[in-house]
Amino acid sequence: MKKVLVVDDSLSVARQLEKIISESGEFTCVGHAKNGAEAIKMNHAEDPDIICMDMNMPGMDGLTALRSLSMLDKEVKVVMVTSLGGVVDKFTEALKLGAKNVISKPFEADVVLKILRGL
Amino acid sequence: MAVKFFGQFLVEKGIVSREALLKAIELQEQKNLKFGEMALAMGYVTQDDITRAHHAQLSRDIKLGDLLVEIGILTLNQLNEIITRQKNNHLYIGEALVLVGALSNEQLQQHLDGFKADQAPYISDRVELPRGISNPEVWEMAADLTYKMITRVLGLPFRAGKCHTISTVATNFVMAAMDLSGEVDARFIISVSQELQKSVAKAILGEASVDNEPPEVLEDTVMEFVNVVCGNIAAKASQAGRIVNINPPVTIRPDVAGLAVPAGYTGLCFPILANEGETMQLVLFVKELGGKNL
Repeated sequence: MKKVLVVDDSLSVARQLEKIISESGEFTCVGHAKNGAEAIKMNHAEDPDIICMDMNMPGMDGLTALRSLSMLDKEVKVVMVTSLGGVVDKFTEALKLGAKNVISKPFEADVVLKILRGL
Repeated sequence: MAVKFFGQFLVEKGIVSREALLKAIELQEQKNLKFGEMALAMGYVTQDDITRAHHAQLSRDIKLGDLLVEIGILTLNQLNEIITRQKNNHLYIGEALVLVGALSNEQLQQHLDGFKADQAPYISDRVELPRGISNPEVWEMAADLTYKMITRVLGLPFRAGKCHTISTVATNFVMAAMDLSGEVDARFIISVSQELQKSVAKAILGEASVDNEPPEVLEDTVMEFVNVVCGNIAAKASQAGRIVNINPPVTIRPDVAGLAVPAGYTGLCFPILANEGETMQLVLFVKELGGKNL
């Protein structure tokens, strides 16, 4: 079963994503980081296959963390889950930094699972 | 369910790959000249003019073209000619995807129709603002999108009250805020009563009951709603060529006297009349011309 790390400063989004991931029976959620710096530490400790990460977070934001993760870990697949998905520049920057996809908030469970399955 | 642009819609649906989209975006970046590049290509300015104008822009909130007119390097006619050529030569993402071989012309038309249908719920309706507000089109769109998100994300029936200016925001059970920057300077606030907070939490968490949820999770759901609305406002603004940046959401707790609108800002209140006796408000603090930052 593929391991997923959730990165979002919002408790409610983390709850939603963890529920979608664990109820799918195809993925397991290995933790919740609240900002980019925590994500880098937890990626090292938990070695997830996939990271679902927000962009707009206090402290280290998602795009800064994505830049670091792309250099530190060539295996992990990062999907950005963000309310800024529809902002062309942010979307483009995320893809250029190595994100596999960008999911806009509010998201639907079937869209999240379809994208995770395709990785 | 969110405001998207065409390329994102195609990747999300699996119609084109991220690699093909990146290739198309690179082609757009090569073909679509920025204002200064186009002015140079048309021979109306020199590289020195551009450098000088960029330097002057550091201390002025003004577009490059307007500045070049102001300092006498471009005439108004030349400015309009450059903008027209930029528009006429603009390579859209759909056209770029055809050029890189990711879509045929027939597929492009078919998917554009699908995209229009997907985004139809977010076509802006008119919201009336008091006169004299800076960037009124952004705030009309922001209020309209907030109403649409209340319907689509929260599933709450409501009636929108008339927008009016205020000097103090009445305190409410939860008040979540987000600062907007970039080409605008404003604070976006949503305030909700205790009962409406539960409705927000149920919708955001997708739960039938939130009676056993801790207060911090309930409060977080209102912040997340603000985050979703403001992110989509930024997306809609970017489609219109406007830059709106967002910061992480916060909760604010004014005393019983309420929250005063800061000096240099106009307070706009959009009453949202939901369930009987339950209050919800959208409030915007919009920077007046020459006002100090929040």
